[in-house]
Amino acid sequence: MDVETVTERAGPREFSPKDDMPEEYRKAATRMIQFHANSEIMGAYLERPFIRQAPSLDRKLAFSAKVQDEIGHGQLLYRAAESLGIKTREEMLRELEEGKGKFLNCFHYPMDSYVETPMIAFFVDGAAMRRQATLKSTSWEPYAHAMDKVCFEEGFHVKHGEDILRELMTGSRKEQEMTQEAFDEWWPRIIQFFGPTDEQSTHHGFAAEVGLKQMSNDQLRNAFLNAYIPKARKYGLEIPDYPRIEKRDDGTYEVREDDLDWDEFFKIAKNDYEPGVGQIDGRKAAQDAVEWVRDVLDDYEQTARGQPAAAD
Amino acid sequence: MIWEVFRQEEAGDYHTHCGNVHAPDREMALLFAEIQHGRRKPTHSLWVAPKDEIGEVDEETANFGGTTDKSYRWAMTYQNIDAAAEEVADSEAEQAEADRRRRGD
Ligand SMILES: [Fe+2]
Ligand SMILES: [Fe+2]
Repeated sequence: MDVETVTERAGPREFSPKDDMPEEYRKAATRMIQFHANSEIMGAYLERPFIRQAPSLDRKLAFSAKVQDEIGHGQLLYRAAESLGIKTREEMLRELEEGKGKFLNCFHYPMDSYVETPMIAFFVDGAAMRRQATLKSTSWEPYAHAMDKVCFEEGFHVKHGEDILRELMTGSRKEQEMTQEAFDEWWPRIIQFFGPTDEQSTHHGFAAEVGLKQMSNDQLRNAFLNAYIPKARKYGLEIPDYPRIEKRDDGTYEVREDDLDWDEFFKIAKNDYEPGVGQIDGRKAAQDAVEWVRDVLDDYEQTARGQPAAAD
Repeated sequence: MIWEVFRQEEAGDYHTHCGNVHAPDREMALLFAEIQHGRRKPTHSLWVAPKDEIGEVDEETANFGGTTDKSYRWAMTYQNIDAAAEEVADSEAEQAEADRRRRGD
């Protein structure tokens, strides 16, 4: 199939591994799904310490369930990406540990305090869910199928995150202040979740034309702000003055792009931002520590198939 | 030899199990599947797989979902929270439906 045919036929769940897709499509889809998979993994690592640090047994259990879910999402997505025939799962995991794999800006920042957890678990998961709900209609069928399962599970993540926010904002004065501080710090990053505005986004055009992406950055950000600004206010959070966000007459929002730190954003996008580098290395260390488990499984797979382990 | 058959109704749907056929090889299994399972029911694609190649675990031997209370895993548990957005509400509805069917009512 050539790109022209792909563009003509592009629709929800239109293409599957049976179709002979042009390299341009397969590369664009791989870039997008690999980024998504990497983000699931890096997000899980960011939240993992809170399985221990969460203040109650219920919260610890919920964090452990959520972290398991996120790692599972990563697995599903690497499978969907692998089905495009550009990179194997091993290659993608290696790229992630070598600092070549790209992932979401929000997961490059350290998260040290429990009051920060709703910034990820409510706002970032909420933003991710907004995007993922639209990706149920992506043109690459294995990706859409992964989104069915991911979206099924995510409702728990977002509500659990919101419940923590509610608890903190109805807690002591000190808790409320600390939560507001965390919000002030995270809010611009959360706005940047959707990337630069459409005119500046480099990959949007093609991905939209071939049906991989269903909505533009601006549309997604708008829908997110519409739902989540009222929620933040409901719990008594004050929306920071910067970035300036103005509501247009048609109810949509205009974010003043200049108020956001795009140098930092693009530094992060290149995996050059210091805390993020530490997180990539931290994950690599965890990965290396259980290398022997994967080796044992690989050897066993070889022998179980009736081939001696050293055959290749 | 028995081949299990999976039918996909429309492009983009899941292939779901719909029965099996006797056939000496994969090619004939596909042909028989086409005749038996693809004729009347709407079909976009069929898969066949040798029955012996399919592994199974059932509720006799496994405790699906575990034996302990894992209500913290479900969106419905967070009752005092109204879904922030449509997609969160949809997810919760899917979970509630799955939970209902899992419990068998
Ligand atoms: Fe996820
Ligand atoms: Fe999540």
